[in-house]
Amino acid sequence: MLNEKRIILMTKMASYEANEGKKNVAIGSFFRSDYIGWQVLKSIISATIAFVVVFGMYIFYDFEVFMMDIYKMDLIEFAKQVLRMYLWTIGVYAVISYVVYTVRYNRAVKSLKLYHMNLRRLSEMYRQ
Amino acid sequence: MTTLLIAKQILMTIYSKYEVYITPLLKFLLALVALLLINSRLGYMESIDKSTVVLIVALMCSFMPMNFIVIMTALFTLLHLYSFSLECAAVVGAGFLLMFLLYFRFSPKDTLVVVLMPICFLMKIPYVVPLAMGLVGTPTSVVSVACGVIAYYMIHYVTQNVSVIAAMAGEETAAKFRFIIDGLLNNKEMVVTIVAFGITVILVYLIRRLSLDYAWTIAMAAGVVVDIMVLLVGDLMFETNVALFGVIAGNVAAFLLALVLQFFVFNVDYSRTEKVQFEDDEYYYYVKAVPKVTVAKPEKKVKQINSQKSKAVQKTKSTH
Repeated sequence: MLNEKRIILMTKMASYEANEGKKNVAIGSFFRSDYIGWQVLKSIISATIAFVVVFGMYIFYDFEVFMMDIYKMDLIEFAKQVLRMYLWTIGVYAVISYVVYTVRYNRAVKSLKLYHMNLRRLSEMYRQ
Repeated sequence: MTTLLIAKQILMTIYSKYEVYITPLLKFLLALVALLLINSRLGYMESIDKSTVVLIVALMCSFMPMNFIVIMTALFTLLHLYSFSLECAAVVGAGFLLMFLLYFRFSPKDTLVVVLMPICFLMKIPYVVPLAMGLVGTPTSVVSVACGVIAYYMIHYVTQNVSVIAAMAGEETAAKFRFIIDGLLNNKEMVVTIVAFGITVILVYLIRRLSLDYAWTIAMAAGVVVDIMVLLVGDLMFETNVALFGVIAGNVAAFLLALVLQFFVFNVDYSRTEKVQFEDDEYYYYVKAVPKVTVAKPEKKVKQINSQKSKAVQKTKSTH
């Protein structure tokens, strides 16, 4: 016999799995620290590439002046300055991504809890 | 109003029935318009400036995810710019790369704004984008809108200065590079537009979230007024040469468009027809779930609350 209530619940859950749930299940398969750590690491890599692009453009913008000044300037001080800016960029970006992904993880876990509750309801329906 | 609601219902029914065909068709049209506009404005690379190529790419976009349109339009822009001048392609490419690396990693759903914004700019109604993003988006949509404005002004700057850049052919690469970057960074019109659109998005978002009657319409009206004011104040302060009539007419058109959007898009039930498959020990299920369509429920609710209250008051009066 077809159980109508069961089909409605299963349809809703299948639709959740196919749409919003897909991402949440993927997020939920990680431990909290693993997920956030991995995302922050990816953000740091993105920020590093972005920094290299901007720095490259900055150097190329005044390439002649830079090449003339390179013999006069204190290279170690320049490198320190660049490194400081790089660390600031990375730091700020990492903090932003930490906050964003923490919120996302918490949301996903909350929505998965509801999904698991529905799963339990479904398995109870089968037992009846 | 009833006829409008009925029209909306019919549209919703048609949409939920033929959603499988309508969504790809809309994607196809969007990709087609975007690519044709790019070809008409830039069109330096002959091999991709052909209607057959555009049609094939637009067809591909129709069944690929939405972000594929963004990637294709970015690719077309860069290829045209590369044919024109390597330096232009490098600067614009770096701009795109920074946007994708730093922002769209967080919200890949917002990438479409970067395509829609330049299209709306060319249609003279860019003001509709911040209004719409304020209505459907979040305050972070400010960044997407800003990225869209930057993308437009990057291309606009190149098309405006084609002859100057072409005349610099003999000069060094660094000089051309400097000219393009200077032009982009010192573009006050772009900065004023970003500030105006940013304020509009946040204001519309804040007002539409208030528990007011007609919060959405008030939000749109306030957004339009503030947008016009900031653009005009920006014009006075930085002499951006904004066309007064154009700004007002564009904003009024944006307001009307946002009203239409609100009526047809934002009020409808977001759930669509879904086809899902699953199985248990006894059956395989192939379910097609179609959302029910209902009209004007909230009005009924309001009446009920009032009548209950008045009844309660009458009862208490009679007991006294």
